[in-house]
Amino acid sequence: MAYFLVRSILILAFLILIPPLLGEFWAYQLGLYFIYGLAALGVGLTWGQAGILPLGQGMFVAIAAYLTAHGLLAFGSSPIAYLALPAASVIVAVLAFAFAALVFRGRFEQGPSFSLMTLALTLAAFQVANGWSSVTGGFNGLRNIPGLPGLDGFLDLYYLIAILLGLSIAAVDYLVHAPIGVLWRAIADNERRLAFLGYDVAVIKAVAFAVASGLAGLAGALYAPQQNLVTPDLAGFAFSGDLVIFAAVGGRATVLGPVIGAVVVGVLSAELRDRFPWWEIGIALFFIVVVLRLPGGLMTLFAPLQRFSFARTTIRARSAAPGKPRIATSLSVAFEDVRVRVGDVTILDGLSVRTGEEAVLCVIGPNGAGKTSTLNVMTGMLPRRGGRIVIDGADVLRPEPAIVANKGVARKFQTPSVFPKLTIDENLAVALWAGRWRGFDLLRLGLFGWTSPLLEEMRGRFQFLHDGTRPASALSHGERQILELTMALITEPRMLLLDEPCAGLSHEETAAVIDAIQWARGELNLRIIIIEHDMELVRRLADRVVVLHQGRFLADGSVEEVQCNPEVRAVYVGGSR
Amino acid sequence: MEALLFTQGLNVVFEALILAMLVLGLAVVMGLLNVLNIAHGEFIMIGAYAAYIVQRAGLPYLLAIPAAALVCGVIGLVVERCLIRPLHYEPFETLLATWGLGLLLRKCVELGFGRGYRSVDIPIGGSVSLFGESYPTYRLVLMLVAVLVLASLFVWYRRAPTGARIRAMVGNPVLAEAVGIRTRELARNTFITGTALAGVAGVMVAPLTPVEPFMGLTFIVNSFFALVVGGMGTVSGLFAGATIIGGLQSVLSAAVSPTSAYIAMLLISILFLWQRPRGLFPRP
Amino acid sequence: MPTSIKMTRRDLVRAAGAAALAVGAPTIIRPARAADALKIGVLVADSGPAALFGPAQRAAAELGAATINAKGGILGRQVEIIFADAGASPAEVAKSAVKLMLSDKVEMIFGSHDSAVRQGVENVVKGKIPYVYTPLFEGDDCSSNVYFLGEVPEQELQKTLPKMVELAKGKTFYLVGNDYVWPRTTNDKAKKYIADLGGTVVAEDYYPLGAPNKFENTVAKIKSAKPAIVLQTLVGGDNVNFNRTFADFNLSDDILRLSCLLEENTLIGIGKDASKNLYSSLGYFADLDLPENKAFIGELTKKHGDKAPQQCTISKGLYDAFVFAAAVTTKSKSLAAKDFAAAAEGVQFDTPSGSMTMTHRHTSKNIFLARCEGTKFAVIDTFAAVPTQQSCT
Repeated sequence: MAYFLVRSILILAFLILIPPLLGEFWAYQLGLYFIYGLAALGVGLTWGQAGILPLGQGMFVAIAAYLTAHGLLAFGSSPIAYLALPAASVIVAVLAFAFAALVFRGRFEQGPSFSLMTLALTLAAFQVANGWSSVTGGFNGLRNIPGLPGLDGFLDLYYLIAILLGLSIAAVDYLVHAPIGVLWRAIADNERRLAFLGYDVAVIKAVAFAVASGLAGLAGALYAPQQNLVTPDLAGFAFSGDLVIFAAVGGRATVLGPVIGAVVVGVLSAELRDRFPWWEIGIALFFIVVVLRLPGGLMTLFAPLQRFSFARTTIRARSAAPGKPRIATSLSVAFEDVRVRVGDVTILDGLSVRTGEEAVLCVIGPNGAGKTSTLNVMTGMLPRRGGRIVIDGADVLRPEPAIVANKGVARKFQTPSVFPKLTIDENLAVALWAGRWRGFDLLRLGLFGWTSPLLEEMRGRFQFLHDGTRPASALSHGERQILELTMALITEPRMLLLDEPCAGLSHEETAAVIDAIQWARGELNLRIIIIEHDMELVRRLADRVVVLHQGRFLADGSVEEVQCNPEVRAVYVGGSR
Repeated sequence: MEALLFTQGLNVVFEALILAMLVLGLAVVMGLLNVLNIAHGEFIMIGAYAAYIVQRAGLPYLLAIPAAALVCGVIGLVVERCLIRPLHYEPFETLLATWGLGLLLRKCVELGFGRGYRSVDIPIGGSVSLFGESYPTYRLVLMLVAVLVLASLFVWYRRAPTGARIRAMVGNPVLAEAVGIRTRELARNTFITGTALAGVAGVMVAPLTPVEPFMGLTFIVNSFFALVVGGMGTVSGLFAGATIIGGLQSVLSAAVSPTSAYIAMLLISILFLWQRPRGLFPRP
Repeated sequence: MPTSIKMTRRDLVRAAGAAALAVGAPTIIRPARAADALKIGVLVADSGPAALFGPAQRAAAELGAATINAKGGILGRQVEIIFADAGASPAEVAKSAVKLMLSDKVEMIFGSHDSAVRQGVENVVKGKIPYVYTPLFEGDDCSSNVYFLGEVPEQELQKTLPKMVELAKGKTFYLVGNDYVWPRTTNDKAKKYIADLGGTVVAEDYYPLGAPNKFENTVAKIKSAKPAIVLQTLVGGDNVNFNRTFADFNLSDDILRLSCLLEENTLIGIGKDASKNLYSSLGYFADLDLPENKAFIGELTKKHGDKAPQQCTISKGLYDAFVFAAAVTTKSKSLAAKDFAAAAEGVQFDTPSGSMTMTHRHTSKNIFLARCEGTKFAVIDTFAAVPTQQSCT
């Protein structure tokens, strides 16, 4: 926290000292680029943190600028005019949140479609701004916008812009390092995993987009009094593109990068523009070199300064995570005549099966039997074409990963699904927070100190989990399997879905994992459904075995019973195991 | 009135087909390789300049097609080697790099040819009378060529071994490499094919539009929309996207007003992108 | 009543000749005589959509400065140009204007760019120094200490439309333009003149600015509506695109086209095959057969040789700005806003397209109606001293 304050104060002091050092023109010029920097800061937040590339942030700048312009025109020299700034910023943030939450709802998509939607929006906004002359002044712009009351000349406004930029940087810096920031990076890393932990991914993404748009709105709100003119070109593709370029050049993964990008690219263009007729070739080459040689942007050059950053390596006092309300009984699930087709391929062909009294249910069957698909359709990753899925006695009409997870179902995938770019501690923390955070907890740094008895038990069993600052990408395959299992367990589910949990583990690891599973099952009164090929494992774990074949239920019973079942034997003849 | 409707109908088909031709190169590069080539429009522009040079030299216009394909292919080769491969074909990274590339190509062409408009004469003048309505011959020829190109592409992608290899590479690069597909060469050749196709599209549209260094910018946005709305990596997707973006805008433009049509096209694109984020005909 | 400080036509020709020497001097040696030089900020399109005019704008401005300097400069001081790029966004250009005023201490600003940029510049200049805006535009701007040399819609249309009706032997009009303020204002004015002529407007189409427009639809509608004249207010690439499509659909034989912004570069883009029966109404064409213009073009050719950038009304206006400023200051003896504004009213000055008079801070001037012959303009009618009907005080 101390580092954070020191850094924020240093930045603010630097910004305020610029005009006396560089003069009035630079105050005006930098004021403009700081406004762009504010909007770029938001682009960096959504793109660099949450992995969502917005191509139309200019639209939010423009809307806020027009709103502020009308506010200033209406209230003139009354101090009420100052309210136009936060109001415009909040209005566009709310608009952005509504749009994003609607679009992100119920889907995982990191493809270009959202980016293109924002691009289409800004292109349309440009035409509207151009045509709606009575409100926007049309192509020539809304002019004669008064400045903010009490602020005379370039310098006064510069200080306001600088202070707001400094505060915004501090706020983003804080957010990025708060639990919500970890969740944003988790989304960029592995959105599906986050949903399977029970998070409402759409809302978390929409919050990132709303914060970014709020910053764009603040930029627009300052643009109107700085320029005294708002023209549709703010909503043009070129400006939105520039904001992305600023973030890319400066370093989108860092907080300061986009602002530095805006200033560097802006000043460079302005200085070259009037001196060299072919300056754009220089800019293009500069840009290509940055992309090729400095993929992290210009901020890579400042990497040695990173230790001044608001580091979370400081040991945080451990505190007990709030307990989850537990229901003593384990969760039941029933499939009734479930059908799944993808294209022309029938995957589940009227599957009916239900859990019984057993604690560990193993699902076996030859390849293509529909084992993993059963788990997928139950957790909403495959659309159902017919039948019913009943979880905990309630019909699940539209299963979605987060909904199912919040009913108490945790899932571990066949290939380990963790957040590779996050550290071990962050991976565990994200899982631990799931279902436990309330209200504004995700803004509290104290959450990083949370722990639970279950987590400590797992740490005791698996030593590598202590090495919390290692990124998950540095772990071995087996370690990642164990990390994911731990993440699934510490959500304290009522049902655990395991897809070949021991694949790729050494003998020792397998033994330790089985031991941990057995322990957790007793501790949590947990129902476990395991998909497994390894009959040795099945024999050791299963209370009951269900055999699937060609998308249908074939047989069930104890291990011995199914092994003696002629139908099962027929299916496995010539097959493996 | 029927005459007007007939002509407008042909116009709609023409716009959809022309857009499909313009998108084709991008569809190859973006749909198959996931490279967001923002400089696609600049390759079209360079193709158009190639057409201009060929025509100015008094050579037959058809020669412009191999010329443009060659020039754009060679530039594509250099770009693949110096930009795309070092960035490992990553979508976002290549998006940024090709943004710089587009700026560079525009300024280089401006350096060579100046900023002014160049006009390429229509190679096949006159018009053809169809059911009593005359329609420019060159446009009809373009439509025919576009249909032939798209149809043969469809067949080739389905049948030819290279098509299968590309599909394999796209589906699972590691496995493709393991079964002996040289993915590096294949990716390079696919990229070059995409840029060469953009050049050929440039030759086709050069007689219709002002040829100038910034002309590519007008094509790129619609191309991206058509591609993503249609669905990447499939010929049906390409066709559907071009029909929706190009055709719809044309219909609305005739029915309402060009500005409303443009805004409506953008909003409808948003609807499609929202409801079908992977496009209408995505790669399975 | 204009006063008698105007340069005569012969003076201008001679001055232009003398200017050649000064123009020949490389701009780098400027600081040597910078002590009391009068700096003028000149905003030209080095980048952006209008950048094709950039080189011609620079050439015209340089020749204008040299011409004035050869005659003793402005207020006895040699004029020095400081160029800035006007092709960027209004905010960026306004910033350049601030820099020109604060760092470079320019005492006047001349600009050739779009109206959005003009409003941005006006906001920072705030009438402190004279600002001369040279290209054609939609009018209706009376910001203080700003002077407009360009054609306004009234000038382009009031004399030209009757002549077009005469040529076309018909009074039905189809209006097509880009969707922003200049085309819409121009068409609003046009509709009034058309009504006065007893003509009718059969339809209007406005195409979005900066969108990938295709014009087959409008052309098909025109074909069906069969107007006598198509009045165009399309700009840049859309202008080229529309006219080529129009000709491809075989309409150029029967329907006349009048464009309100068709200059030399655009016509080259449209090409010889598509320019039949295409007319342009502007205050200047590079091929004008006037001695002033021959001298103007001659000097540019002398300096730049074959590479002389193509002049047009957009670029040539910056030359006029220097002549205008010299004429005003001869009378005002000062650059102070009040004196300059007072002296500007009624001032007459000679330009390559003939004499101009400033009234109400707009400029009445000769308007030429030209028919396209291939990729050249042939002036078929000249309307002398067409008033602007603008009323700034």
